[in-house]
Amino acid sequence: MRKTLSLYGLTFSLPLLIWQLLFFVFPLVFLVALSFWTVKNFRMQVDFDSVNWVTMYGRSVFWKAYGTTFALAAAASVLVSALAFPCSYAISFKLSETARRWAVFLMVIPFFTSYLVRVYSWQIFLSDAGIINVMLGWIGLGPYALLNTVGATMIGYLTLTFPLVVLLQLFSLVFIDRTLIEAAHNLRCGRLRTVFAVIIPSARVGLVIAALFAFILSFGDFVSPIYLGGGDPTTLSILITDTTKSGQQWPRAAVIALTMIGTLLVVAFAAVRFAYKGRTK
Amino acid sequence: MTNDALVTFEGVVKRFGSFVAVQRMDFEIAKGEFLAIMGSSGCGKTTTLRMLAGLEAPSEGVIRLAGKPINDLPTWSRDTPMVWQSLALFPFLNVIENVEFALKMRGVGKAERRRRAEQWLERMQITEFAGRNISQLSGGQRQRVALARSLVVEPEILLLDEPLSALDAALKVRMQSVLKNLQRETGITFVYVTHSQSEAFSMADRVVIMSRGKIEQIGTPQEIYRTPRTRFVADFLGSSNIFTGKVAAAEGGIVTLNTPAGALSLASPDPSAHAVVGQTASLTVLDTKTNLALRSPSGRDLNAIPVRMIGEEFIGATATVYLETRDGQEIRIQKSHEELANLPLQIGQEFEAYWSYDDGHLVMEH
Amino acid sequence: MSDKDTASINRNRAVDGALKLYIVLGYAFVFAPIAASFVFSFNSDRFPSIPLGQFSLEWYQAVASDPLVWQGLRNTLFVGVTVGVLATALGFGAAYTDYRYRFFGKQVYLALALLPPTIPVIILGLAMLAYLSRINLSGNALSVIITHVVICAPFAMAIIRLRLSQMDPDLEAAAWNLGASEWAAMRHVIVPFAMPAILGALFITMAVSFDEFAIAWFVSGLNETLPVKVLGFLQGQVSPRINAIGTFVFVTSMTLVILAQLLLTGRGEKNRPAADE
Repeated sequence: MRKTLSLYGLTFSLPLLIWQLLFFVFPLVFLVALSFWTVKNFRMQVDFDSVNWVTMYGRSVFWKAYGTTFALAAAASVLVSALAFPCSYAISFKLSETARRWAVFLMVIPFFTSYLVRVYSWQIFLSDAGIINVMLGWIGLGPYALLNTVGATMIGYLTLTFPLVVLLQLFSLVFIDRTLIEAAHNLRCGRLRTVFAVIIPSARVGLVIAALFAFILSFGDFVSPIYLGGGDPTTLSILITDTTKSGQQWPRAAVIALTMIGTLLVVAFAAVRFAYKGRTK
Repeated sequence: MTNDALVTFEGVVKRFGSFVAVQRMDFEIAKGEFLAIMGSSGCGKTTTLRMLAGLEAPSEGVIRLAGKPINDLPTWSRDTPMVWQSLALFPFLNVIENVEFALKMRGVGKAERRRRAEQWLERMQITEFAGRNISQLSGGQRQRVALARSLVVEPEILLLDEPLSALDAALKVRMQSVLKNLQRETGITFVYVTHSQSEAFSMADRVVIMSRGKIEQIGTPQEIYRTPRTRFVADFLGSSNIFTGKVAAAEGGIVTLNTPAGALSLASPDPSAHAVVGQTASLTVLDTKTNLALRSPSGRDLNAIPVRMIGEEFIGATATVYLETRDGQEIRIQKSHEELANLPLQIGQEFEAYWSYDDGHLVMEH
Repeated sequence: MSDKDTASINRNRAVDGALKLYIVLGYAFVFAPIAASFVFSFNSDRFPSIPLGQFSLEWYQAVASDPLVWQGLRNTLFVGVTVGVLATALGFGAAYTDYRYRFFGKQVYLALALLPPTIPVIILGLAMLAYLSRINLSGNALSVIITHVVICAPFAMAIIRLRLSQMDPDLEAAAWNLGASEWAAMRHVIVPFAMPAILGALFITMAVSFDEFAIAWFVSGLNETLPVKVLGFLQGQVSPRINAIGTFVFVTSMTLVILAQLLLTGRGEKNRPAADE
């Protein structure tokens, strides 16, 4: 371990730093500047005017979309955590070592395979003449309008977040010291009670981080609300695309985007605080 | 013994796949005793303890607790609290919450829970740490929390799986006396698994020695130390010199063996001690009872064999001298420095090793 | 009573069975859209539903005869490979920096190296589009590559860092001690050790780039920059052609991800430790 960076060290350290400064930090900083520009005759002008902030924050459409997006993302985060937990629990505690490796192997694949195409494919199941309605028809039900509903948006969010949440939960569950579970049993704690009294508290950090990621991904997602939810109710991501399309209102879109980043930062901070609460005093 | 037996193992076998961890085990644990189960790693001692706690199910046989078979009882339905080698304290709970855990599981009310937990904290002298996190405690403090956590329900029996192995030597000795006193005061039956002879012999009323899933010997520490029943036990304790040969004669309370080191005799207190002429047997003699002289000692009923010195070792007040017999077997003697003062202890020096017939002990090969 | 290998007294068969069934359901949910896309890409019906029509390759033929698709594929491959190489190189540098050096502001450095994937794509897209057009870089393949490297480098960094953490920390010092310069130690010790992770990172970053973008290229064949624009095309359309393209995308990304995983989990590694005889 050396304290100073030599030419050799800088050769490895600097490229990423420069790249992320130029193409990650600067664009985000530029977004802040952009939010103070003005638009006249469909042309953006460099300016320092708070009009975009005032306009956006004064619109009920914006706050409605904000509330909707926050509620949907929070619901998705809770729902996916609850649905994924039995799965990751079973993989951690009920499968053999080999089967567990396969389970992880299989779960990593969808995480890296096109979310857009997967969401598109849900149409085959959910459309009015799709697989689910045809099957419901066999038992004399339906057809129901499944597509372009909040439920369909939720399925999209689940598609997006389920693999990642299972993996993150799994990694905290498999590292639980098995003797803690034995000790709980030994102290008269039954099976189900052990899950709530020992396993969930032990895996808390991982479970909270997984839920946080589900929130972040759902909060910013634009594919599911548009494509499965039919754009109604309007979420912030839809509002961003609409705003950019209508009359070059990029500065206003920047206001929305920055508000989203701010929200995510606050939520992430709160979640991490909660995850590590009481760990060290 | 049968009447006050708290635990009985009846023909208990434990297999993991094709591996036999415990083979056909029959023994009893008396109410209120401190029993140590000792053996090297993989001998089945921890498996035995885990079967008692319901963390493993016996493949065959019956385990009884207070007369009732407990084979099919889930862990959480038996009162067999255990102290783990890792202690297994809950890191997400503080000290007093850890101690209260078992009471909470039994549905004891909050105030009562707190009161009883505090009593045990006081008893274990860790009251000041009640609100601390486990990660802020020292090894000895954690030990006390683990004991309090298990004892708070005032069980009839406490299982301990090498609980002191993580502590340094001085703390280990201190915790041994804490454990021994605790056991004496509470009268709770302690079953203590260890690989350490000093821990087992200093605390236990009785010791079970296991090897390869089998019980080699059960007895008080003195019994086992003085009269190891098998060659394995004598070897395992490592405090005896062992000479193996064939029984040449067995009459008049004297058994004589033909060993590579020469004909050696011993006084057998029990004449019928199943010594059959022609059978393989071993003579064991404690290294503290083996003596050293420059010339063949005079006196009746003594064994003497010529040896050559190959090394020595000083630990505190005693010295260990390593010697080799003519046929190349290594033996040793342990004496105080005073007892050895008159001998020319030099590597290569020839001596006579001798001991009384009465100090020899017969172990038949099975 | 049969042989009990685990503490079966503490288990409940019905509960265990139900949990295992739940695992199967979870995976069915995750793989259902992928499987559906695959099945219906070979289905002759114009509208994908059950019962299935005839087996047909017509959608693949339609896709294959579209010159825009071929151009899109070329662009995608070009972007994917370039992004993979760049992101892996940058990620390796960052991973090595974290592995070897301690310096003031390292936390900030690591945050920059790892944070980008947590920023919603739509926001990053908006910021990039506005920023890159300002510095005259928007609207061509270069802007796509730049954006993808920002998102992909953190994945490469994480994968390679994990591998470096498995390396004996004395290995590099031992090489110096034997007379190797820093550069020589890098070339002969660090890089060979990290090679599986470097290749794994390459495949994963290619897959991420491919996924973020493949559809845009395929369906438009134009220099579409961000998935925002893809939606305009997809919205309201249900065309089996997309299933054909989607299946191709799935097969390609899955192959890359599986290859990466095989490399990273060390399956097929020759030099396992020999047993002591």
